[in-house]
Amino acid sequence: MSKPVIEHIPAGAPWEKTGNTSWTQCPSCKGWFHVGPGILNRPEVKLHCPHCGCDFAQSEAARIIKAG
Amino acid sequence: MHEITALQYALEKRGRRPIVVVEKPVLATGRTSDMPVVCNLTASRALVARALGINDHRSAAPIYAKKTGTPIAPKVVSANDAPVQEIVHEGAAADLTLLPALKQHTFDPGPYLTAAHATTYDPDTGVDNTAIQRCWIKGPGRMSYYPYPASHNNRNMRKFWARGQDCPVVFWIGHHPAVLMGTQAKLGYPESHWSACGGLIGAPLRVVPSRTFGDKIMVPADAEIVIEGYALKDQSEADGPFGEYTGYSGPQVAAPVVQVTCMTRRKNALYHDYGSGLTDMLVPDNMAMEGKVYSLVKAVAPSLVNVHVPAQGRRFHAYLQFAKPGPGEVRDGLAAALAYRRLKMVIAVDDDIDLFDDSEMMFALATRVQWSRDSFTIDGLSGSLLDPSTAAGAKTLSKMAIDATFPLPPSPGAPSPVPPRSKVPDAALTAAAKVLAGVETADWPTL
Repeated sequence: MSKPVIEHIPAGAPWEKTGNTSWTQCPSCKGWFHVGPGILNRPEVKLHCPHCGCDFAQSEAARIIKAG
Repeated sequence: MHEITALQYALEKRGRRPIVVVEKPVLATGRTSDMPVVCNLTASRALVARALGINDHRSAAPIYAKKTGTPIAPKVVSANDAPVQEIVHEGAAADLTLLPALKQHTFDPGPYLTAAHATTYDPDTGVDNTAIQRCWIKGPGRMSYYPYPASHNNRNMRKFWARGQDCPVVFWIGHHPAVLMGTQAKLGYPESHWSACGGLIGAPLRVVPSRTFGDKIMVPADAEIVIEGYALKDQSEADGPFGEYTGYSGPQVAAPVVQVTCMTRRKNALYHDYGSGLTDMLVPDNMAMEGKVYSLVKAVAPSLVNVHVPAQGRRFHAYLQFAKPGPGEVRDGLAAALAYRRLKMVIAVDDDIDLFDDSEMMFALATRVQWSRDSFTIDGLSGSLLDPSTAAGAKTLSKMAIDATFPLPPSPGAPSPVPPRSKVPDAALTAAAKVLAGVETADWPTL
């Protein structure tokens, strides 16, 4: 499966709120769930979809939207 | 398995905080468990205070600080005298899936141990550490375990891993609420929680060597359930999302994996569950924080009389109460409290303000604060990165202190240079109470 494009939420000015939570989309059920920066920095750790129970590598995610 | 947590939410909505016991919980497999679930055990400040032998929960901070600061060493008992080892399942017979662990919130991926007290030890000194840390049951002998990166257990685990060894860890569940409160004492590193527990209960905590690790890791002899195992070196798996104390679902993280070696329990064990993010979990932790903050602030501001860490502020807010503070003392106290990692906002008030009544706190903020003069912020302090308001990638927080106290009298015996609070005479209040006594008011508007 091709590597998903990681979409970055651009940082704004210090007084602009941009959020701090990254989300990924399950390749199987298309459900979204939130992931921490630590696990995104470790591509060898498979992600686990809490909606359908599917385990998948980051490179298999339908989408990843990364904060920061 | 969401139903039990949903019941806790429904009770909170009604402002009711009874202890909940579910005698025949239904497991995720559909099977009914013979092990009852107890939750909401610590949702009530009044009940927790009573468990500690404190008559009024409002006075918990100084008492908790004093008792946990007067440690009593634990007493080691034999396995024959340890109810928690009445039943022993070792190796493949240890089956985590038989525990009535709950799936609490919608994003939680599976059943979690939420009241598991993880005990590890520092391989350099042998000193143990205990903290409540979540575990996701993934199979009969396997679970992920998330010791928060800043935690002492995480430090111990990394020391073992640096030596090329798996980290021994024991999880114990269920005990008298006073013992549960003792293990929440905020201690230095390395420092055992057993002695703080002893101080709080006023007697040595009874401990017994664990089956797997012997006297290297003791467990409370009167706990309900014990799970023993190893946090496997350099093995991580996805853990979470998980409903956190913030009231939000924390993100999925990479967490260590624990291989279970043994489970022990009482014959009629109760399974204890904390409603994560509910007062059930916030109240005991916040009351323990009150003791810690009291000690920190009292060291620099002797006029401190009380502390409240309100559940509605999660772990982020603290209210400090002063009586006749000296020049600079309130700000010294505010700065000391802000340095405590968990706090993000601290408010100081006088001793005529009820710390436990938010309408009183709002009254003080409305009438005793000029913002540019009486508040200050400090950026770059340590804090919880689970706070959804932090910037992406931030490692520190911006914190705020508010001095909502009035100035002192210019000289002894003189009135303060501020207007007196409006009030009616006590006799008139007593008479009014008599007028209302016995009158049915249930249908009268409250807002």
